[in-house]
Amino acid sequence: MMNIPNRKEYLQQQSQSGQQIMGVLPALYPREMLWAFDILPAEIWDPPGDILHANAHLQATICPVVKRSLEFILKEPDIINAGYLFPHTCDSLQNLATQVKDLIGVPVPVYSFYNPKGEFNRTTRQYYTDILGDFQTILEQQHGSLDRKKLSTACKLGHKIDSRRLELQNARMTDRLPLSNSEYFQLIRAGEYLQPEDYLKLLDAISIPDEPIPNDKARIMVSGILPPHPDMLEYFDDLHLSLVADDLLAGSRRIPRIKLDPPQDPMEYLTERFFLLPPCSTKAGSLDERFRYLNKRIGNSQAQGVLFNIVKFCEPELFDHHLMVKALKDTGIPVLSMDTELQGGLSGQDKTRIEALGELLRDRMVS
Amino acid sequence: MSLAKSLKFKFMKDYGAPALLTFQNFKKRKPRPIPEAFGPPLKANQRLKEILTRHYFLSRYVPGVKKVAWVTSGAPVELLRAFDFYTIYPENHSALVGAKKQGADYCGIAESDGFSQDLCSYARIDLGHMLSGKTPAGKLPKPDLLFCSNNICQTVLYWYKAIAHELDIPLIHFDAPFVTTQQTEADVRYMAQQLQDMIPVLERISGKIFYLDDLEVILKRSMESSQTWGTILKEMQAKPAPMTIFDAFGHLAPIVSLRGLPVAEDYYHILLEEVQDRVARGIGAITEERYRLIWDNIAIWYKVRYLATFFAERKMNFVSATYTNAWAETTGYLDVKDPWNSMAKTYGQIILNNNLKHRLDLMKSMINDYGVHGMVMHSTRSCKPYSVGQFDLRKALNTELDLPAVILDADIADERVWSEQQIQTRLEAFCETLEDQVSAT
Ligand code: SF4
Ligand code: SF4
Repeated sequence: MMNIPNRKEYLQQQSQSGQQIMGVLPALYPREMLWAFDILPAEIWDPPGDILHANAHLQATICPVVKRSLEFILKEPDIINAGYLFPHTCDSLQNLATQVKDLIGVPVPVYSFYNPKGEFNRTTRQYYTDILGDFQTILEQQHGSLDRKKLSTACKLGHKIDSRRLELQNARMTDRLPLSNSEYFQLIRAGEYLQPEDYLKLLDAISIPDEPIPNDKARIMVSGILPPHPDMLEYFDDLHLSLVADDLLAGSRRIPRIKLDPPQDPMEYLTERFFLLPPCSTKAGSLDERFRYLNKRIGNSQAQGVLFNIVKFCEPELFDHHLMVKALKDTGIPVLSMDTELQGGLSGQDKTRIEALGELLRDRMVS
Repeated sequence: MSLAKSLKFKFMKDYGAPALLTFQNFKKRKPRPIPEAFGPPLKANQRLKEILTRHYFLSRYVPGVKKVAWVTSGAPVELLRAFDFYTIYPENHSALVGAKKQGADYCGIAESDGFSQDLCSYARIDLGHMLSGKTPAGKLPKPDLLFCSNNICQTVLYWYKAIAHELDIPLIHFDAPFVTTQQTEADVRYMAQQLQDMIPVLERISGKIFYLDDLEVILKRSMESSQTWGTILKEMQAKPAPMTIFDAFGHLAPIVSLRGLPVAEDYYHILLEEVQDRVARGIGAITEERYRLIWDNIAIWYKVRYLATFFAERKMNFVSATYTNAWAETTGYLDVKDPWNSMAKTYGQIILNNNLKHRLDLMKSMINDYGVHGMVMHSTRSCKPYSVGQFDLRKALNTELDLPAVILDADIADERVWSEQQIQTRLEAFCETLEDQVSAT
């Protein structure tokens, strides 16, 4: 049984002990750099609660990640004392960053971090290194000079976390991870707010047996921005459906595809790390590469079907989704696409659709 | 390049297109009566129509003669012109479909194929066109190259990737980092380098060698056209304004899609001359201009006439828009002596790639310079970069300038999103507030 600290309580404790905490919006950012400045990034993806105030600032057709994040920010939570960081992920978050900074106004600094888009080459790599340097300079204005040793230590820690995540991911794909769907994604998401040392301890505490654990469950890969809602994960558990692999922005898309060499030069390491992340809709790289990657993961995990968990109004996902579904169907892989508003229970219709997918996959196992 | 095709293209250019235009003028239906609220129409309208008809007409004969590129409105097209690509602007084409009230039809085709209804309607229309071959322009040539920049939105990159994938053609993307506070040296270096990296690829696709001198000539022309367009817009500071922003939405087409070509440069001189003449003679776009408005966001293409008439009948004229201004705003950065860096600055800082403080400041100065009494904001379902933030922009303008404003929830080209009753009610309430406020001052 894992002992994962509750997000809110953990962050409150951290804040009470004088920790600097930065609210970070989705999704890709050089977390090691923040650690090196003694800042704890607390990621804001889908904070719970009703959306009350954000509706006065955003149209009805804006995705719930953006809305919920703004709702959280508008509450001006005390625990966020080192500012907010908006990585450049999509058009909506791009505008939200400037809306919060320039129009709404918050009592803490607002930072942004551009993630290059499209297909990458040498020019992109050089640029990424440059913006890491710029980001360092901006943080130094508030937090004093960066201690290079600390950055090096942070990179080593990040490297260990990535390596362990990769091992756990592979173990899950090959039935060597004794965790339910809910437990697995809880573990993954704990990295969004725990101190890196605490997170690494948690990851290391999971034992990976050498031999696969017998598994007669139907096998599914989940793709999208966020893992399904906990109620849905439990329902998958109840139905004996195992989410053996993920292609989630909040999951595997944030871990390098392969194990990197231990960091020597921190800036080089951070650059290398970014360019080794798996394909992702929000980076808008090649569709063929993304499809090849999905196929490889399906093969490695022997997933029989794919669940697309699509955040409502998420343009980056919606464009790719259509083409991925088409390509997967052509290869005969069953696909289930579900829209999510992030909160709210599992509807009867959702349950029926999940059951239907489960039955289809089980029938295929039998035949 | 085939000789027969080249000869045919030349023939169509020299004889076919003029003959088509003569025929069109000859068979022209009786013009629709102009509502009393409007002043005399611009003579340049006819020339504009000819230019666009000719461009689309000739595009049918271009395959095999020139390479065809589909380009996004914010992409640095000057570079492509140096390789003599024939350019088509899918956004313009989608706007045309929208204006013909056929947007829902084309969107429906893309949706039946599985594209979500929540995607930008320009993209859905274009995908609908790609899947069906349908177009109100007769026929569009298949692209040899797709060229896009995310300086207007990330959406275009997804949209062009989908086309590149479907048609199996190369895509060149110009990555333009969003300006959160100000453009950094790294941003400029990155963009300038990308442009230079494109040269060998463009040489390979076009089969033509790049000459810097050619680019300089094109940049100069582009600069000239954008500056003239900016001067035309400035003429609308006159009272009464010589044209409405709804006219400008149409006259924008050459600066968007023919930028860098002599035809655009010549056209804007003609338009400028006419507009200046109207100002000198006090001819307004509407017969009585009592209230002056600013428009925010892209046009609602299928309701341009409705909105123009609604406001003109209430003696209200749109004299400015953030949208039309976009193709004049950053041209000042262009410098033929420093093409790469200056293109990076020009294209990297356009309104949709710039922060909302910049947009607020720009709106404030436009409101001031154009003597604006009120603002209409189109909150378009399609466009996140234009729409996210509008609620707070309105609040800021209202607080700082006491400017009445209304937000219309609609879409640029998908007419299914339009709710006439709701919009009419909102507009009437807005007009009342505006009239009261102006008469009280
Ligand atoms: S869910 Fe999609 S649209 Fe929403 S913030 Fe994430 S990437 Fe952007
Ligand atoms: S309408 Fe907006 S989202 Fe659509 S292509 Fe234009 S800028 Fe992009």
